[in-house]
Amino acid sequence: MRVQLGFSIRTKILLMLTLIPLVTLSLFLVLALGIFEKDKIAYVFESSAAVSKTLSAQVGTNLNAALMTAKPMIQELVVLKHFGSVARSIFDSEGLIDSVGVYRMNNGQATLLDQIEKKNPDAQSLSSLPDLAKILQEAALSPIRLIKVPFQDDRVLIVEKVKTPEGDFYFLILALLKDQALSFRSPSNGQNYLVDRKGHVLLGYDGSEGKDLGEVMDLNFDSRLSDQKFSSGTAELKTSVGKSWLVSFTKINFGDLYVLSLVPKTEALKAGQVLLNKSILFFLLVLSVITIVSLFASGSLTQSLTALFQATKKIAGGQFDIRVQVKSNDEVGSLADSFNRMAEEVSRLMLETAEKARMEGELKTAQTVQETLFPPPFASMDGFNIAGHYEPASECGGDWWHYSRIGKKIYLWIGDATGHGAPAALITSAAKSAATIIETLDVSPAGALSLLNRAVYDVSKGRIMMTFFLGCFDQETKNFTYANASHEAPFLIKEKDGPLKKKDLIALNEVTSARLGQDRDTEYEQHSMTLEPGDRIFLYTDGLPDIQNPELRGWGEREFIKGILATNQGFPPIQKSVEDLVKIFSDYRQGTALIDDITFFMTQFEKDRP
Amino acid sequence: MGKFDIKIDKVGDLSKIQITGVIDEDVDFSQHKISGSGKLELDLGGVKSINSCGIREWIKWLGDAGQAPVTYLNCPKIIIDQVNMVKGFLPAQGKVASFYVPYYSESSGTEENVLFVHGKEFTDNGVNPPAEVKDKEGNVMEMDVVEDKYFRFLKKA
Repeated sequence: MRVQLGFSIRTKILLMLTLIPLVTLSLFLVLALGIFEKDKIAYVFESSAAVSKTLSAQVGTNLNAALMTAKPMIQELVVLKHFGSVARSIFDSEGLIDSVGVYRMNNGQATLLDQIEKKNPDAQSLSSLPDLAKILQEAALSPIRLIKVPFQDDRVLIVEKVKTPEGDFYFLILALLKDQALSFRSPSNGQNYLVDRKGHVLLGYDGSEGKDLGEVMDLNFDSRLSDQKFSSGTAELKTSVGKSWLVSFTKINFGDLYVLSLVPKTEALKAGQVLLNKSILFFLLVLSVITIVSLFASGSLTQSLTALFQATKKIAGGQFDIRVQVKSNDEVGSLADSFNRMAEEVSRLMLETAEKARMEGELKTAQTVQETLFPPPFASMDGFNIAGHYEPASECGGDWWHYSRIGKKIYLWIGDATGHGAPAALITSAAKSAATIIETLDVSPAGALSLLNRAVYDVSKGRIMMTFFLGCFDQETKNFTYANASHEAPFLIKEKDGPLKKKDLIALNEVTSARLGQDRDTEYEQHSMTLEPGDRIFLYTDGLPDIQNPELRGWGEREFIKGILATNQGFPPIQKSVEDLVKIFSDYRQGTALIDDITFFMTQFEKDRP
Repeated sequence: MGKFDIKIDKVGDLSKIQITGVIDEDVDFSQHKISGSGKLELDLGGVKSINSCGIREWIKWLGDAGQAPVTYLNCPKIIIDQVNMVKGFLPAQGKVASFYVPYYSESSGTEENVLFVHGKEFTDNGVNPPAEVKDKEGNVMEMDVVEDKYFRFLKKA
């Protein structure tokens, strides 16, 4: 039996029932999360872009307002070389400007021309700028307006370079962007930054001023805004440590400033993670339910299959009385029913086979026993020779032939029971037993047949009959007396010169009576004749002309008669005649199964004997 | 082999019976009652074969006819062989009205069955066969039986 190496059916069913929903739900989750993530990112971009645009607009407006406020002050200073009444009046009336200082550069040295500032002891003044000269030099070289947050508070320094015939003036205007600075610094869902082109933070999340975002992420505004029609954009950027940010940026229409609105991607997709976690929990719940249901369902199925498997193993082991109890009405139930029917059929066939083997054994035994009923095929008894041939159609035959010598009388027996096979063989056996006794009684052939008839009748009760021919040759008187119980008439062949012809076959049919076993009280007739030296008698049963060839064509009486004539032409020894006749019909038959038993024998009264 | 068939046509006290096919152990003659018939006329021209079990059933069946005269018509060789061989196959009160005699032409291999009719080709005293039987090619055909054996029933008639 094949050893089970793979998964059991139950395991396979469990795997199938759990893996299919698992894979399906996982695919659905991946697709849903992908869509959700894209949608969420788009939403975050949209929101942060709105924030950056709003802040950008506010910062730009305020810076422009501060510069526009300072313009009359600048014009007056260029004329007066100091701030006059106009400038001071404007400065006092406007709260947007904290300080304004005017410088000129001379050989790299900054020279203060004038300065006005709000009185604020807590705030640093312009004059305290530690790197003033550097700032002015930078402003001198920069093609665009320089903007800085020098004190890391809510004041933004605008460096306005004014070219005059008398030289360049550098107006340093500290604009107050109190609300905007608060917007950048206050914590929210995202982080907002006011940066310059390089990513240097001017205003931003607490503690971030002065830091350089361009160093931790690839801002590169120029390439992202290559199309000058747009002043804002979005991007997903990764920091040097691998953290992803969703970045919205808007260029401020003032100087070279940008407003960045950054949202950590993990934070933006936090809801997705929550969804994922809840989905996993839901999946686990569903899988648990499916597994439990599958266990019950597969258990019911595999229990039946296991019962069938165990039953087949028992049958393979030779236990054929096993039956499977499966009550389901599905295919497994039908399979169990078929299995039970098959097991019953196998049991029946096994019993039949055993019975058949037993019967075949008995038939073999019967065949062996029956073979003892037949005499040697060749015999010579003081000038009376006998040669015969017997071949049953099955293990046991219904033909019987025999010869015996009692004193000077030689008895010739040949009979054919109805049908053939075991029943007929039993009758021949009874006939042989009776004949063994009868031949010792010194009775005539007619008397012998009467006795034999009673024996056959008493045994078969009229169900099986026998045709029979019994002849008796008296070696002293040369008389041959015979009685016939409806058997094929033997042929007497008298030796003659010249070829044998059909008319030379003399049927010994002077008398014929009822078959043995037909009627218990049948009286049999007999006829006597004298045999002459050289005379032959051919005795046979009707199976001989009925021999068939492979085409199932009968040999027929014509060929049968021809065979008798041919094998006795020239009157060879009867043993040779018999052997030649066997060869002739064997050539015709070519091994084809017999439809009836074959029995024939010949006698010869030797010519040269006294 | 043809399947066994029997037709019984009763005309007055005469039962005309036509039998065709194979007579063997499978034939159940008990279904076909012939007892009480005044006379029986059996046309056996369609009988294909008969075996020893069929002979047993046949004799048993005809025994039901009692002493009613029985006439066999158109007997093929297989029937005549049984009539000759088996005592009782033709009841004691039975007669053969016509039978076939096989002829054979050795030169052409032709077989032919010639119907012998009582009063013409045979009588109760013997056979008066046709002077010559020829095949289609004109070859003279020989009687294809052992005459001594085949016409035995006439000697005993």
